[in-house]
Amino acid sequence: MTRRTRLILAGICSVLIAPAVVVVILHIPAFGHHPLPYGDAINRGTVARRHVTNMVTAVNFDYRAFDTLGEELMLVAAVTGTLVLLRGRRGENVSDRPARAPDRPVCERSEAVTLACRIFLPLIVAFGIYVVLHAQLTPGGGFQGGAIIASGTLLLYLGESYRLWRRLVRSLLFDMLEAAGAIVLVLCGLGPMVRGHAFLENVLPLGQSGALLCGGLILVENAGVALAVTAGFILLLLEFLEETRAAREDEKS
Amino acid sequence: MSYLPWAIAAWLFGVGVYGVITSRHYVHLIGCLTVIQSATYVALLSIGYRFGSVAPIFYSRPTSTPAVDPVLQALVLTDIVVGATVTALLLALTLQVHKKRGTVNPERLRPFRQ
Amino acid sequence: MIAPAASVLVPLPVALPLLAGAALLLVGKFLPGRIPDAIAVLTAILVVAIDARLAAQSLQGPLVYWMGGWQPTGGVTLGIAFVVDEAEAILGAFMALLFAASFVFAWGYFEDIRAFFHVLMLIFLAAMQGFCFTHDLFNLFVWFEVMSVTAFALTAYRLEADPLEGALNFTVTNTIGSFLILGGVALAYSLTSVLDFGALARSLAQHAQDPVAVAAFCMLAIGLLIKGAAMPFHFWLADAHAVAPSPVSVIFSGAMVPLALFGLGKIYWDVFAPVPAVQLLMRTLVLALGMTTAVIGGLACLRQRHLKRLLAFSTVSHGGILLIGLSLPGAVSLGGVLAYFVGHGLVKGSLFMIAGILLARAGGIDELWLRGRGRPLWPAGIAMAVAAVLLGGAPIGLMDSGSRLIGTAAAARGEDWVLIAMVLGAACTGGAVLRGAGRIFLGLGAVAGEEARGPSDEESEKADRPLWLMMLPVTVLLIVALGAGVAHVDEAVLGAAQRFLSWDGPSSIAPVSVPPAVAAPGTTHSFVPWATIALALLIAAHDLGRAWLPGSWRRVSDRVLSGPVFGAIDRAHDGVIGDYVVWMLIGLALFSVSSAAALHAG
Repeated sequence: MTRRTRLILAGICSVLIAPAVVVVILHIPAFGHHPLPYGDAINRGTVARRHVTNMVTAVNFDYRAFDTLGEELMLVAAVTGTLVLLRGRRGENVSDRPARAPDRPVCERSEAVTLACRIFLPLIVAFGIYVVLHAQLTPGGGFQGGAIIASGTLLLYLGESYRLWRRLVRSLLFDMLEAAGAIVLVLCGLGPMVRGHAFLENVLPLGQSGALLCGGLILVENAGVALAVTAGFILLLLEFLEETRAAREDEKS
Repeated sequence: MSYLPWAIAAWLFGVGVYGVITSRHYVHLIGCLTVIQSATYVALLSIGYRFGSVAPIFYSRPTSTPAVDPVLQALVLTDIVVGATVTALLLALTLQVHKKRGTVNPERLRPFRQ
Repeated sequence: MIAPAASVLVPLPVALPLLAGAALLLVGKFLPGRIPDAIAVLTAILVVAIDARLAAQSLQGPLVYWMGGWQPTGGVTLGIAFVVDEAEAILGAFMALLFAASFVFAWGYFEDIRAFFHVLMLIFLAAMQGFCFTHDLFNLFVWFEVMSVTAFALTAYRLEADPLEGALNFTVTNTIGSFLILGGVALAYSLTSVLDFGALARSLAQHAQDPVAVAAFCMLAIGLLIKGAAMPFHFWLADAHAVAPSPVSVIFSGAMVPLALFGLGKIYWDVFAPVPAVQLLMRTLVLALGMTTAVIGGLACLRQRHLKRLLAFSTVSHGGILLIGLSLPGAVSLGGVLAYFVGHGLVKGSLFMIAGILLARAGGIDELWLRGRGRPLWPAGIAMAVAAVLLGGAPIGLMDSGSRLIGTAAAARGEDWVLIAMVLGAACTGGAVLRGAGRIFLGLGAVAGEEARGPSDEESEKADRPLWLMMLPVTVLLIVALGAGVAHVDEAVLGAAQRFLSWDGPSSIAPVSVPPAVAAPGTTHSFVPWATIALALLIAAHDLGRAWLPGSWRRVSDRVLSGPVFGAIDRAHDGVIGDYVVWMLIGLALFSVSSAAALHAG
């Protein structure tokens, strides 16, 4: 199809779909006034039942922890897939020379950038760890904190040299950390079954509401997720940054 | 006014699909997929909202305070992870296609070109 | 009714492959030789055993298992449930068997990415088991997404231009499908505020006239139909299945695509059955889409010379037949769907393995180039001929049980014309595969200009695996497809279907009782399988025996084959992602117009 044909067909289809969209919008229960029995049941009972004060974490790691298990393994699968796609051609040897685009100048790394990165890297990593640890109390969790920490490590590359980035960020280590995080989550599921409980049932002591250590199994699952997400995103950054290096002779094809 | 969130979600979906259909650069197409995904975020979060409610965090509030639906927020969290992972995969595929074919124009990328 | 001691097995088909996959990711680099392959095969066989045991245990009642121990309290379902029914357990066992066969076939294939292939495949297996057993709408989406992501990664393994482009088309179309499913979940939740199937059905019964319910079903259905490759959402399949490595294509065509269609059936019967407009949509629009898919897939099959692309189009066609069975109400057609699902998966899996053997041993996949080069691989030739005959509707085996039951259900509703689409689809695909077998292994059917390579790249796969190792899973799959005792198969699938229909949906919120048995119906139109296989043989013979046909007949048939219909089909499958998304929009428009009509009629 030519571009014009595509646009004409898309236009006709939009005309046919638009009335249905309008009807649906008019019939959805009014915004802001939805009865939310599922949400209310969780909001009312969770603090007493599980001693955590962050309802979203409770839903993620307790009520619907099975969804989180699937989501976590999907992250592992996607990172593994990206590794296969990017490493496959290149192999795991890394080259140190940056690739040069013919018409772009190469600037020296400015000292201001280096200073700023050195100040902010520990702050960001500390903030990420704070977000992970306070999952059950205030907004936060393994996913959010893991993404923050992983993005923070990018400042290593920005502020220092690529060589330092490669020396500190070892792909083997993060491969294994990611797998370890996934195993922790699956074992959190199988563990309670050994004692006759249900899969992923929260059987650890629940602690005191409002304390840092509360929620039982939620803490362990949160730690597993944080580990896997951090390691996974760092691996992604690693592989994509590798693509900025000059190609070796035998892979130019 | 109360139809606005749903209209926004529908508009985002439409704009995203338009972008995918007319895209000339695969990275732009991946961005349009992200726009389509934002439509689902807006729709999901708007369903869980209630006027006069607070976030579902009861750290310094009594449990009886009306709060929004935490289930939908958990669903959106999963949605975000899905989006991030698929975007990473797509970008990796695009990088490799560029190396192999020299182009990332979707209209010139046809498997089994006759 | 729950059998309490048995319940502990229920989460294992999901948890065990996930554990094995994560463990392989952790230590795979350090394990010597073929240990990851062995671990993968053992895990798959273990899942088969667990699923078989679950099937046996669910005969008296579905096994309801609440994850995290969150039993519903006060009528509110707080957690996620797995409801294992005999039908689902059988499908789960079959899919694990296909995985085990694929792992044996891929023994030693993926050497350069260590254990990554096995990690991805094990997560894929777990996701399929989860998708099959789950009883929660968002959990269904999560396993659907895990399946999709692992499939995207596995498709592009070869890192050549064609696989990468095929993987891109696959990823973009299916990702839009996932977003549609999310939109459907959002709409369903906005009406009902629950996510469990049983609670959803109970709540939707009170909103049966609401257009939002119909819209939710449409979005969910379109997302699943994109994955299940029904027209007009099927364009990605030929691009993706043709370029994925053979062990992966086995799973894609044999399990993933039919499972998505079965998922559509699941949400229809478990959730949306109380909505009359949705019932009408299933019986009209979905039936029409199934018939069109079966015919177009079959016709597109005839024109292909790339063997795996031919098999991909045949998957589209047989998916259409499955969709026909799913759209007809009643236990008879569902029983037919179950038998057809398993039979087709076994046969298609073995065919993709044979394609892999040809790639590895004969060094090519183009049917015309391979003419006669398959002669030293004659065991594969026999297998291919058997598979082609089964595909083409021969009156033996599981596929035949399935299509007979579906045909009987259609005839019982007075819709005999449905059989025409089924016959055409099966005959075209069976004939095309038979033609391929005759050309490759017997050297028949020379065509002028065949020395020029087809439009695909130079292709080959890892060549050093022994032939007997690659033929072993092929033989096992075909033997199972030829079927254990045909009469018992009919009764078994009818019983499983009847139980699924009556108790799978509500069992998470209320106890259920054993339904009465369904009598196996008499077969109407018993000439249909013979007509199908005869047509398939005719199609194959026509192409193979070109040298002996009169010149005028040859000219006429050439003109038809390059004529408007076939030419249009070829041009539509042009590989451009923008076109595929426009077809998706056309499908969306079809659904919205039909829903409006269904709502007015209801």
